[in-house]
Amino acid sequence: MSVTVQSAIEDLADVERVLAGDVGAFEGIVGRWQGPLINMAWRYCRDRGRAEELAQEALVRAWRRLASWRRESSFSTWLFALAANVYRNDLKRFPVVNLPIEDIAEPSRAADQQSRVEEKSRYEVVRRAVLALPKRYREPVVLFYFHEKDVAAAAQTMGLPEGTVKARLSRARELLRRRFPQFEKHAGMETASAGKEAGV
Amino acid sequence: MTDKRIDAILGTEEELVPSSGFLASVMERLREEAAAPPPIPFPWKRALPGFVVAAGVMGWGAVELVRFIGPAMAAVKLSPPHVSAGLARPLEQAGWVAAALVVSLVSYLVSRRVAG
Repeated sequence: MSVTVQSAIEDLADVERVLAGDVGAFEGIVGRWQGPLINMAWRYCRDRGRAEELAQEALVRAWRRLASWRRESSFSTWLFALAANVYRNDLKRFPVVNLPIEDIAEPSRAADQQSRVEEKSRYEVVRRAVLALPKRYREPVVLFYFHEKDVAAAAQTMGLPEGTVKARLSRARELLRRRFPQFEKHAGMETASAGKEAGV
Repeated sequence: MTDKRIDAILGTEEELVPSSGFLASVMERLREEAAAPPPIPFPWKRALPGFVVAAGVMGWGAVELVRFIGPAMAAVKLSPPHVSAGLARPLEQAGWVAAALVVSLVSYLVSRRVAG
């Protein structure tokens, strides 16, 4: 039996027990979904403490509204959609980045002997730039990569048609490409210098 | 930056591991909520007479206001500027449109303020 099917069975059993009045049964659900929910929240805000707070709020909200899960979709689909709603509303009230994407500086050219730490920090600039995208393009990007590049899953979480998500993703990528025109060039140089060092 | 590069950067994130007390704190919060008494429902039965009285007073006030203002308005002679018959109708319609726009704007601002 696959992990997904096993998890779905366990989710269903735990939901039935919680609805029957056993609060403790929700612990199984929290245990299975805390990691994904925190990681999803992290992609929305890139702040560990806030990600845990948001995930906790999403789980509490899920517990309160458990009876509204109609079993038409999987429990995880319902949970992610609810969590996305919680995260979206919270970020609307307390935005993470107030800068427009045009004001995000492109990372400076890397030195040849650049360390992995520096490379990581340059990647982080790009990841943070996602949070500066206009609202309608930000969430499709966040959820597309959270769902391991699954457009259908991202669309289900947002409650939007797949075509809309694809179009917004394409526009978001275009904005990122325009914002970081030099990035690929530098990356190419890094790869070349790394190759030289390795004697390739 | 190519799409491939964007995929590589955004698709490879380090997994965060929940902090050790996360599960316990969620469950504690749920148990507290479960143990809390249910919220007190709004006492509609008790409040209903109050609502009826309040509505009656407001209606009576409106009637009195009209009765008071009506004769006073009749006494005031307004002399609107002379407009040709051809212009009167479009001007009147424009007035209604402007009034509707003002009402829409006010309701939009009020709803935004309420939604906070």
